[in-house]
Amino acid sequence: MSPSAIVERAVAAGMDGIALTDHQSARNTPALAECARRAGLRFLPGLEVQTAEEVHTVCLFDTVDAALAMTDWVYAALPKRVNDPDTFGDQPVVTWDDDVVELEWRILAMGCRRTIPETAAKVRELGGLYIAAHIDRPNFSVLSGLGAVPERCFDAVELSRTADAAQWLPRAEGLATVRSSDAHNLDDVARVWTEAECEFSVAGLRAAFAARATRLSPPLTSF
Amino acid sequence: MKFSEVVDKVHGTVVVDNPEAEVDSAYCGDLLSDVMGHCGDSSVLITVQNHLNAIAVCSLAGIEVVLICHGRPVPDDMKAAAEREEVGIVVTDLSQFAAAVALAELAPSSK
Repeated sequence: MSPSAIVERAVAAGMDGIALTDHQSARNTPALAECARRAGLRFLPGLEVQTAEEVHTVCLFDTVDAALAMTDWVYAALPKRVNDPDTFGDQPVVTWDDDVVELEWRILAMGCRRTIPETAAKVRELGGLYIAAHIDRPNFSVLSGLGAVPERCFDAVELSRTADAAQWLPRAEGLATVRSSDAHNLDDVARVWTEAECEFSVAGLRAAFAARATRLSPPLTSF
Repeated sequence: MKFSEVVDKVHGTVVVDNPEAEVDSAYCGDLLSDVMGHCGDSSVLITVQNHLNAIAVCSLAGIEVVLICHGRPVPDDMKAAAEREEVGIVVTDLSQFAAAVALAELAPSSK
């Protein structure tokens, strides 16, 4: 996905802000940050950390530097293997105007050795937000892997695009919810969203989460 | 043990055929990082992980057959990857333990 195409699509869909959270890496957030800046779209850099428990967790930051620091910390705990593009695909790192700078050699499709509590502590140290990803999904979610949302780790829980909020809310341990597209291709960008009256920043979202003041777009009924 | 024998012993349903597969060992694991670290080749992986990444791990580790327990459904993208990577997929209603008991004549897979 080209960063400028993602931004174009988000703007056309009427989004005020977006986040980029690639698996185990924020190395494409500088490119997206630049595209978002040029388009006047708010942007939060982040990454989706697959923890030692093999649970997907979303980390969001105000700055690209913080997201890249988090990436370095995750990289240090990845399996000592080289990515096999035939199995997992290429992992390009791109510039804002679509040049491929390099192909990431680390294996980003597997879990790292950092646990959820360790990752939560690191995210806090770097001033970010920590969100349990797609808790409704049967794989790689806190509920499928651990049976419940662990206490005192997350700022919010995320529902995927088809999840019925009423069904999953009772299992959110009272945390605020967000719904996001988890878009893996351009067509899925901005198909679902979360609304809140707040600044699109870590502090703004933190306040909205604390007030349980998020509103989710309706779920999609099919992919 | 031939692929067809694995299927028979666990009363399984073949989702992706791998008739040439010959396994001599088995490994139980639902944590894929653990599977990747410990499961050797020419083996059957007994798991509940019914998704694409399980096939990727099979491919990296040289696992010939993945046995999905508790009758979990196999998504289309997992099926397609298994066909491409020549990994057999069998689904059984058995639990992981019951499946392991059924395949007890295989050696424990290790590396």
